[in-house]
Amino acid sequence: MMASFEELSAVQIAAGVASGEFTATQVAQASLDAIADREQEVQAFLQVSEDLALQAAARTDELRAKGAKLGPLAGVPIAFKDNMHLVGTRTTCASRMLEDYESVFTATCVQRMLDAGATPMGKANMDEFAFGSSTETSAFHRTNNPWDTERVPGGSSGGSAAAVAAGEVALSLGSDTGGSIRQPAGFCGVVGMKPTYGAVSRYGVVAFGSSLDQVGPFGRSVADVALAMNALVAGGRDPLDSTSQEVAPNFLDGLEDSVEGMRVGIMPALMEHEALTPEMREGLVSARDALEAEGAQIVEVELPNMDSVIAAYYVIGPSEAFSNLARFDGVRYGYQEPGCATLAEQTALSRAHGFGSEAKRRQMLGAYLLASGVYDKYYYPAQQVRTLITQDYRNAFERCDAIMLPSSPTSAWRFGEVSDPTQMYASDLFTISSNIAGNGGVSVPIGLGSQSGLPIAAQLQGPAFEDRKLLRVARALERGIEAAGLFSPGTVAPDYAHRGGELA
Amino acid sequence: MKKLKEVLRDWEAVIGLEVHTELTTLQTKMFCDCRLSHDDEPNTNVCPVCLGMPGALPVPNRKAIESIVMAGLATNCQIQPRSYFYRKHYFYPDMSKNYQTTQGPVAFCMYGHLDLEVSGQGALERPDNTVDKAKDGSYVAPIRILRIHMEEDAAKMVHVGGGEGRIGGASESLIDYNRCGTPLIELVTEPDLRTPEEARLFMEKLRQTFLTLGISDCSLENGSMRCDGNVSIRRRGTEQFGTKTEMKNINSFKSLHDALEYEICRQAEVLEEGGIVYQETRHWEPSKRRTVVMRVKETADDYRMYPDPDLAPFDLSQEFVEHCRERVPELPDAKRDRYVSTFGLKRADAAQLAGDPVVSRFFEEAAKAAPKAVATVANVMVNLVPATKNVLASQVASLASLLAQDAITFAQAREVLEVVDDTDLDPQKVVDERGMRQSTDTDALAVTVDEVLARCTDQVRQYQEGNKKVVGFLVGQCMKASRGTGNPKLFNQLLRERLEA
Repeated sequence: MMASFEELSAVQIAAGVASGEFTATQVAQASLDAIADREQEVQAFLQVSEDLALQAAARTDELRAKGAKLGPLAGVPIAFKDNMHLVGTRTTCASRMLEDYESVFTATCVQRMLDAGATPMGKANMDEFAFGSSTETSAFHRTNNPWDTERVPGGSSGGSAAAVAAGEVALSLGSDTGGSIRQPAGFCGVVGMKPTYGAVSRYGVVAFGSSLDQVGPFGRSVADVALAMNALVAGGRDPLDSTSQEVAPNFLDGLEDSVEGMRVGIMPALMEHEALTPEMREGLVSARDALEAEGAQIVEVELPNMDSVIAAYYVIGPSEAFSNLARFDGVRYGYQEPGCATLAEQTALSRAHGFGSEAKRRQMLGAYLLASGVYDKYYYPAQQVRTLITQDYRNAFERCDAIMLPSSPTSAWRFGEVSDPTQMYASDLFTISSNIAGNGGVSVPIGLGSQSGLPIAAQLQGPAFEDRKLLRVARALERGIEAAGLFSPGTVAPDYAHRGGELA
Repeated sequence: MKKLKEVLRDWEAVIGLEVHTELTTLQTKMFCDCRLSHDDEPNTNVCPVCLGMPGALPVPNRKAIESIVMAGLATNCQIQPRSYFYRKHYFYPDMSKNYQTTQGPVAFCMYGHLDLEVSGQGALERPDNTVDKAKDGSYVAPIRILRIHMEEDAAKMVHVGGGEGRIGGASESLIDYNRCGTPLIELVTEPDLRTPEEARLFMEKLRQTFLTLGISDCSLENGSMRCDGNVSIRRRGTEQFGTKTEMKNINSFKSLHDALEYEICRQAEVLEEGGIVYQETRHWEPSKRRTVVMRVKETADDYRMYPDPDLAPFDLSQEFVEHCRERVPELPDAKRDRYVSTFGLKRADAAQLAGDPVVSRFFEEAAKAAPKAVATVANVMVNLVPATKNVLASQVASLASLLAQDAITFAQAREVLEVVDDTDLDPQKVVDERGMRQSTDTDALAVTVDEVLARCTDQVRQYQEGNKKVVGFLVGQCMKASRGTGNPKLFNQLLRERLEA
């Protein structure tokens, strides 16, 4: 069979490799061809790990030849955000600070994908240390949105989203501290999930905000994301991450079940939020209709403290970032300023020259917010907001099974269009509350904007550790949207469909 | 400078201690699986977690939490079921993450106390009567403990090329991360200590307590137990605290005492001459017997402490605390009291034996083997054993039995102990082989006594005229006549019986 690699879902690739329809090596080669063909325009990758990919694929093929049972992601090409360690690759966090940093161990989330049989294609571009919403703060290069290469892919996991959207890989992993999976998924027209905090191990993922960070998958369909989720939690609780929890790998179970009788909450005020573009408002109406058509009952809910979450987030996030990035001092690894006379000078200049401006802005903000006298004024109230928003969610989920929100106020913007940092921060408006509270969220494409022609997305959020149910609602939305003729799962950005990456 | 005794007549010293203890008896570090090591090659027991590599995460060591809870229970602290780890930030390469994981306002253990018994010469340091003193001047000082918290130790830095390993003038600094992440407990006292002797006794008692718990080897010399002393002085009768200085580099009990003594006298001299005591950290130089300024604290450091988001809040269960309580063995004070009440030992001897768990185990083993001579066992342990290299409990028991039977003299016991030291020889056999056993056959000895008395008529007369001391000469004659095999105590007894008759 001749097939274009990017037409296949992860589910289909794993099945095809297992059945012998094609080999993992053929798939890996097709993915490498697709990357070679598209990278010049998309620039999703910071490193392509061709050797690792071909070795892993060969191992998968050997296993099959021996008659061994293959993992659920056998032969599926995957990209990892470059803040995740994978031995044999550098982990740069898209920063000069770690430009030459070789991974000394492999992150648990990465290892679990490999254990499931996935083929590691490389490391995806991102905002420097995940500080940003457009991948423009990468110290190395920008990543272009495959739907319009003059536009940003979103961020901070922009490379991971773009690689999937352009058909370079079938799956990718990103990390989400304030929307860094869900917003770029929305910008690039793919599905992106931030699981409940604690569901996926953070061990081996370079920390931004330890109490907010969560790893999750990108795919071109809800089913592929569910498949990846299974692999991420299959090893059980990670003993190396004391905040991780046991989660059952049953995300595909009942995924196709009807949502008849399930309740989806909407917040009328948010659906009409002034920051939303008109096409986004229209899109959300069709998403609501699609869910209703699938049998869901729409109910109105409230998160009364939603207005305070951005303020709380921009206290907690930078405070934790300052602390987490303090270790980058150029003493044992990372950028070291040459020719310094004293340790203090070396530390100061290594940090001044190793970090980009947004990384410095966040750390200086955090250093200020944690200072004695200031801490009580900001950090403490921010934690109180955290308690309040968590209570808001608890109350709201007494009345519904999931809440539907925008994943961002707008579709992808042009490079340089948003230059004021606070304006950039505001694009996280609808995503950060679930990082603050810890519950899961998933972004699902709901069509193309009536004005922009670019992908727009809805976000669904569920109660903590109800991610399986959340994906079931997401699948219903995807189904309803497809039935309405608005967007089909598996869609690759049009310019990159059927272009290279043939499965020989 | 005036002497301490003189200074403390006019001034009252206010002393608080901060004591860091490495939990050396654990197998692994505080937040990772690296082995705890003392003399391994530098940077061999390290991993991404203790090296602070990006992406690594801490996982708390349950056994370390058990140890600190035991320490808290043994020092009468309240165990806090709910507490957090905090991050304490400072940029220095001895802390690989540039923050130390420690505890915040609430520590695992809060508000304890230890009662010090101060007696002898040391009690004289305290001239005031704000404590109840016994006739001999001894007193009990209750010392409050503010908290004991859990933290991780820093790496060891060696500065090459500067003076005395200090950073000033060094050309290179070497870092050994083997120690980085070692579980450390920090105990902070309230400023309740009033004399250097009290400070020394507190440290000694704390060391005995931790040794008995088995949570650390408590070596001041090797730095597994480290003590900083904070001291200020104020005029007697006043309430307001003076400016305090902090003493570092205290690596023996004597250093602690002497550094505080020096510092109290120095501060008194400064103040009496109208000068100002600056809040500063001072380094004790044992060879020169003085403290010198290390650094002046102009402003309080801002460590930007906040709860560590990588470590969930602790919620210690009642069961966990009870499990720790069960593991707390008999503590030195209770053991001392038991030795006094069951064996009738002198309180000071009992305290000496009970203080060190190795010594007390040895004592109890020997006592069990010589149940009729327990007091003699204690006597041998207090007076003879400290001078030996390696004697066995069974040897001490055997020796004590011989002494208790008057079969040898104390001087002979010392000699026998020297012979059996570092061997497995039985003292009984040594005594027999060397013919050291002294006759306790009164009838046989009486023959010799009568013979000597018959011979030494001059001395007998002297005795009867009132020169009782002459009996010593007569004992000597008896010993000579028996060629050393008679028991001098019995000779003495028999001689007196006859002379008084």
